[in-house]
Amino acid sequence: MMFGWTGNLLRVNLTDGTIKKEALCPKDAEMYLGARGLATKIMMDEVDPKVDPLSEENKLIFMTGPLTGTFASSGGRYEVVAKAPLTGTIGASNSGGHFGPELKYAGYDGIIFEGRAEKPVYLWIEDDNVELRDALHLWGKNVFETTDTVLAETAEDARVACIGPGGEKMVLFAGVLNDRNRAAGRSGLGAVMGSKNLKAVAVKGSKSIKVADPEGFMEACTDARTKLKEHPVTGGGLPTYGTQILINILNQSGALPTRNWRDGGIFEEAEGISGETLAEKYLVRNKGCFGCNIGCGRITRIPEGKFKSFGEGPEYEAGWALGACCGVGDLEAVSKANFICNELGIDPITTGATIACAMEMYEKGILTEEEVGRAIPFGDAEALVELTRMIGLREGFGDVLAEGSYRMASKYGCPELSMSVKKQEMPAYDARGVQGMGLEYATSNRGGCHVRGYLTSPEILGIPEKLDPLVTEGKAGWLKIFQDLTAVVDSAGICLFTTFAIGLPEISSMLRTATGINATDEEILKAGERIWNLERMFNIKAGFTAADDTLPPRLLKEPLQSGPAKGKVVDLEKMLPEYYEVRGWGADGVPTAEKLQDLSIG
Amino acid sequence: MKVKFFATIREHTGSREIDVAEQGCGSVGGLLQHLCSLYGRELCSLLLEDGKLGSKIIVLVNGRNVVHLQGMDTPLEKDDEVSIFPVVAGG
Repeated sequence: MMFGWTGNLLRVNLTDGTIKKEALCPKDAEMYLGARGLATKIMMDEVDPKVDPLSEENKLIFMTGPLTGTFASSGGRYEVVAKAPLTGTIGASNSGGHFGPELKYAGYDGIIFEGRAEKPVYLWIEDDNVELRDALHLWGKNVFETTDTVLAETAEDARVACIGPGGEKMVLFAGVLNDRNRAAGRSGLGAVMGSKNLKAVAVKGSKSIKVADPEGFMEACTDARTKLKEHPVTGGGLPTYGTQILINILNQSGALPTRNWRDGGIFEEAEGISGETLAEKYLVRNKGCFGCNIGCGRITRIPEGKFKSFGEGPEYEAGWALGACCGVGDLEAVSKANFICNELGIDPITTGATIACAMEMYEKGILTEEEVGRAIPFGDAEALVELTRMIGLREGFGDVLAEGSYRMASKYGCPELSMSVKKQEMPAYDARGVQGMGLEYATSNRGGCHVRGYLTSPEILGIPEKLDPLVTEGKAGWLKIFQDLTAVVDSAGICLFTTFAIGLPEISSMLRTATGINATDEEILKAGERIWNLERMFNIKAGFTAADDTLPPRLLKEPLQSGPAKGKVVDLEKMLPEYYEVRGWGADGVPTAEKLQDLSIG
Repeated sequence: MKVKFFATIREHTGSREIDVAEQGCGSVGGLLQHLCSLYGRELCSLLLEDGKLGSKIIVLVNGRNVVHLQGMDTPLEKDDEVSIFPVVAGG
């Protein structure tokens, strides 16, 4: 019997319709924890890293962690993992809500989808009864319509993860959305789901999760929850203002990338799209995921006007991408575009950043009004909303945008205008003013991303220590720790935001008492390092090299023109070799045989 | 000089920004004392802890966190812009 983990996996072959229940390997669980780690281990064991991401040979894995669905604060997370179509790297995207816990209550740690269904289907799980159902009538429906229809056909208190038209049409940055508005948003895992003709997964469970040391676990969770409640960020700033609270501080720090990162890090209309403005004018209330005592989610209403709408968000990265990155200072338009992303099931970060890239290409005369179907200058709020819709439906020029900024810009001979790493668009921190984030973007195992080693936290926000954002010294070592700890957090099944208030000791304590594993804090952090190295090995086997650990030329060659980081570019040349060394990798960026042996990666 | 307030700090100041004459508060420490006299004890307990820079706020001078400058002794000129935030995070 396993504790924390249910000990069961579901394997669903969509090609022949077979569904099997399998036992989770306890050794793999201990070594890779769960969610992101465990699913990557399965990908490595079962999938050729060179596979075409949208072919039936790719697999799609939904995986929870040992803390998912437990009393651990913010333990509502699960991970969707596949080889990613946007980047060609391992794709792992994390989501909250209630879907992950429900999957565990049904008795499963995860689901491995294989093959491709001949016609659209959805999976319905009710404890031990698991069936594939016809989904032809759902094809074409948006995320909300799909969710409502599936709930009506299964159980009103079931939980649904699904794709929208974006996933069906294989927009390369389509996401998987669960509980309507929570998203495994990045890297295009919704497109993988669409390629498999899998429209949705619905689950309802009635079982419980057993923990190894109930008393110790309760104590560890209570300790963590108390710290989260008492911390000014998790107990105050995030519930009140949401993640959009970051707009102003990044802007004042000169690191809010503006107009496709062309105009530096200061957006003159930042206040208009800030968390403060959102809270003052449009916020209905905040919202938490399963078992969360932070509650950073936003329920937002635009009460009138041409962007009248109601939905969830925007979060900081989305608000930046659809706002400052496109030069749009109208929060009503930004919110509307964000709601459309949720409805159609596409990643708002890549959506906004790709539109921003197109806007710059338009202003340079590379794209014309005739080609796009309308003028798209920076700052055009209506163009933002319209292009977002066109992307999700692959309509008109939206079909070109749906490939992401790198492929779009390359098609017109200007890949340097794509602000991406490994073809995935970077999020909302201008690394010229936050040096460690430059190294983070360059080395992230899923391309341009902020949640693999969030050095903004110490560099701008001063948590857990205050690091100078303009210096490079020591950043490689810090990044390694952040990347490894983040891998632990994602794999455990709790929210990364907990780490603003708690750290390795609290997380390890919850893991030990939940699962019964006899591991020190250091050994648990080493599991994170193992996961990081396994992801790296997947990418290396997929064909990636050290040459891919780089940044767009704009960040390496065009100094910022104003603000506190004036004159700065990212000093990646200095940080990257140090990072490889700290990681125990060769100068070629490949983990050495000794390192792999030390981590027991075979 | 211009002093800008953000997030929960605005609840104490009632305004987003003010102009402060540099006389009498030529340093960050001096400015924070001045703000204490303007806005009272509640905000003051956030700005200063035992006379030192409060641990629950972030003070930027021209976009640079003062902890990476000269802390409370960071000099202020009339064209400087000071931003005061509570500790925030997200992402």
